[in-house]
Amino acid sequence: MNALIEFLSFSDPNVRYVTIGAVLLTASSAMVGTFTFLNKKSLVGDAIAHAVLPGICLGFLLAGTKNPLLLIAGAFLTGWISLMLIDLITNKTRIREDAAIGLILSVFFGIGILMLTTIQKSGNAAQSGLDHFLFGKAAALVGQDLLVFSIVGIIVVIAVLFFFKEFALLAFDKDFAVSIGLPVRWIQWVLTSLIVLAVVIGIQAVGVVLMAAILITPAAAARFWTDKLSILFLLATLFGAISGLSGAFISYTAPSMPTGPWIVVVISTIAFFSFFFAPRRGVINRFIRQRSIRKTINDENVLKIFYQLGENSGNFHSPRTITDLVRWRFYNENLLKRYLRRLVGQGYLEQNNNTWQLTEAGKIRAQRVVKIHRLWELYLTTHMHIAPDHVHEDAETIEHLLTPELEARLEAILGYPKVDPHQSQIPYADN
Amino acid sequence: MDMAGVVNPLHQIVPAVEVHDLTVAFDRKPVLWNIDVTLPQGKLIGIVGPNGAGKSTFIKAVMGILPLSSGYVKVFDEPLNKVRQKVSYVPQRESIDWDFPASVMDVVLMGRYARLGLFKRPRKADREIAHDCLKKVGMEAFAQRQIAQLSGGQQQRTFLARALAQQADLYFMDEPFAGVDAATEKAIVSLLQSMTSQQKTVIVVHHDLQSVRQYFDWILMLNTRLVAAGPTNTTFNAANLQSTYGGKLTLMDDVADLIRRERYPSREDNPAAL
Repeated sequence: MNALIEFLSFSDPNVRYVTIGAVLLTASSAMVGTFTFLNKKSLVGDAIAHAVLPGICLGFLLAGTKNPLLLIAGAFLTGWISLMLIDLITNKTRIREDAAIGLILSVFFGIGILMLTTIQKSGNAAQSGLDHFLFGKAAALVGQDLLVFSIVGIIVVIAVLFFFKEFALLAFDKDFAVSIGLPVRWIQWVLTSLIVLAVVIGIQAVGVVLMAAILITPAAAARFWTDKLSILFLLATLFGAISGLSGAFISYTAPSMPTGPWIVVVISTIAFFSFFFAPRRGVINRFIRQRSIRKTINDENVLKIFYQLGENSGNFHSPRTITDLVRWRFYNENLLKRYLRRLVGQGYLEQNNNTWQLTEAGKIRAQRVVKIHRLWELYLTTHMHIAPDHVHEDAETIEHLLTPELEARLEAILGYPKVDPHQSQIPYADN
Repeated sequence: MDMAGVVNPLHQIVPAVEVHDLTVAFDRKPVLWNIDVTLPQGKLIGIVGPNGAGKSTFIKAVMGILPLSSGYVKVFDEPLNKVRQKVSYVPQRESIDWDFPASVMDVVLMGRYARLGLFKRPRKADREIAHDCLKKVGMEAFAQRQIAQLSGGQQQRTFLARALAQQADLYFMDEPFAGVDAATEKAIVSLLQSMTSQQKTVIVVHHDLQSVRQYFDWILMLNTRLVAAGPTNTTFNAANLQSTYGGKLTLMDDVADLIRRERYPSREDNPAAL
């Protein structure tokens, strides 16, 4: 707890810098990642993330120290080479993109690990800390490193904002972008370069292995909450920033812990939460909606029994026993009692001891369902030329589904007919 | 004769599209062979042919979306890149992921991008134009609607509004009537006809032979090769239909397969260009 307060007070300037750095890195990755995600190129991000490792080692070998500029240059180089190889393999051979990505990812990562191990065994004192690039260490973001990485991060942010409109168009409709003469190849080159840059700086905080998570997961999580691109973009950035902040915190309180896995845990938690709880797109909400649809169908089917019995007897409001109802349409009695209780609670039925009867509201609702059912049967036979003995099942679903607007259109198209294909009266509300 | 033609005689002289010796190949297999055709301005032009005849490929190749194996294209007597702003392309509705996070307005505004240029955001004037275009296709009430929630006909109208927002002179449309209800189809056709009456040229990939005579002034009949092109009354006849739909030329098809298998180029490299 004390550690948290100490961290959040930002009294330690080191904490301040590390936090700003980590947030900037993860947020800029999330921004670029939004377009990777929308382009459906998520796996490519993963490939680049792994492919920069040999480049980092190469940069180190050339400089002899951890010069951030050379590390970035090396990472940029091998990141790009990996992409070009993926393209080349996909275009010139029969191997498809997914296989090409798998190939390149593992080959480059393997070479990277090989180089890293060699460097570590070489006894060069300057190499200590190079392995932080595997799983990330936000606390290592100090001094010159922080400055260089932050500048690159800011460049990435500005570039994404600059190209926002073009990136969006390319992700939505590339052929159209070509047709209006946009320099599509050039813009794709910019986006790919930004992905490589975001990966290169992001690995300082997250590490090579888990970098794809910070690129893709923020946008994937944000997608559950919105249908607007601008909000999706902002949310993804926010989610990225939150995970960066938590990474900086853990790096501060538990210095021996790698930052990357921690950041990934946080961003994944956000994603899981979105997956379950987001309104409209979330799983739980969908489940609730499904349940309420089932409820509507059950309710209306029970009301329909009362209505049809009423049609036969000439009195819609006469009381019915469970036996009456079950004779018309079979139900498990306990289940039926539960539905009846619910309908009484909603005011569609009235209960007297062991009998139930339609209220006025119940009759109106049941009548509407029966009307739509018969209209739909008629529509299917007259407009779709389906045989009258094949239309009932379909109408059983449609009767619960139609909106008042579609109901009115259906009536108008058919011209308010009197009877359905089975010569049953079509009941209209009297008004 | 309509007055527009008299006022601006240039329209009558310069063809909308000239295609010379166009060949397009997928994975080296030619899907369009040696297409030579000239399409006039101010007409509603249909492209018909059986499935796999290369109808979409043809307009994509003309728009520079697909690389040409050989041949060249001129639009308004210029290379396409010089007159891109005068040309609008409407892709097939199914080629798009409609779950993309965008509203109808966002999509229509894309029609302004060519004029906006890189990095510039749409202004108020662009929004007004987009709104007018939505009105023309009867979609103004849906401007803020998320595109995933549109019906097939509404998606098509949205694309049409985007094309109108480009304020072009030549329009290529890939199956604008696919998955569209009869009322929408009628509305779209009359919109296209009013466009051609203002000397715009509209070229439409179409698959319903029943309506060809009713819709199109001109017709282009394709089946890997160009079978016929010309005014609908004279060109859209039984003989041409028979050669368009009477099956592929099997020898042609086998040669195309051979080219792919042997990995031959479909044209010899131009020695002068080397």
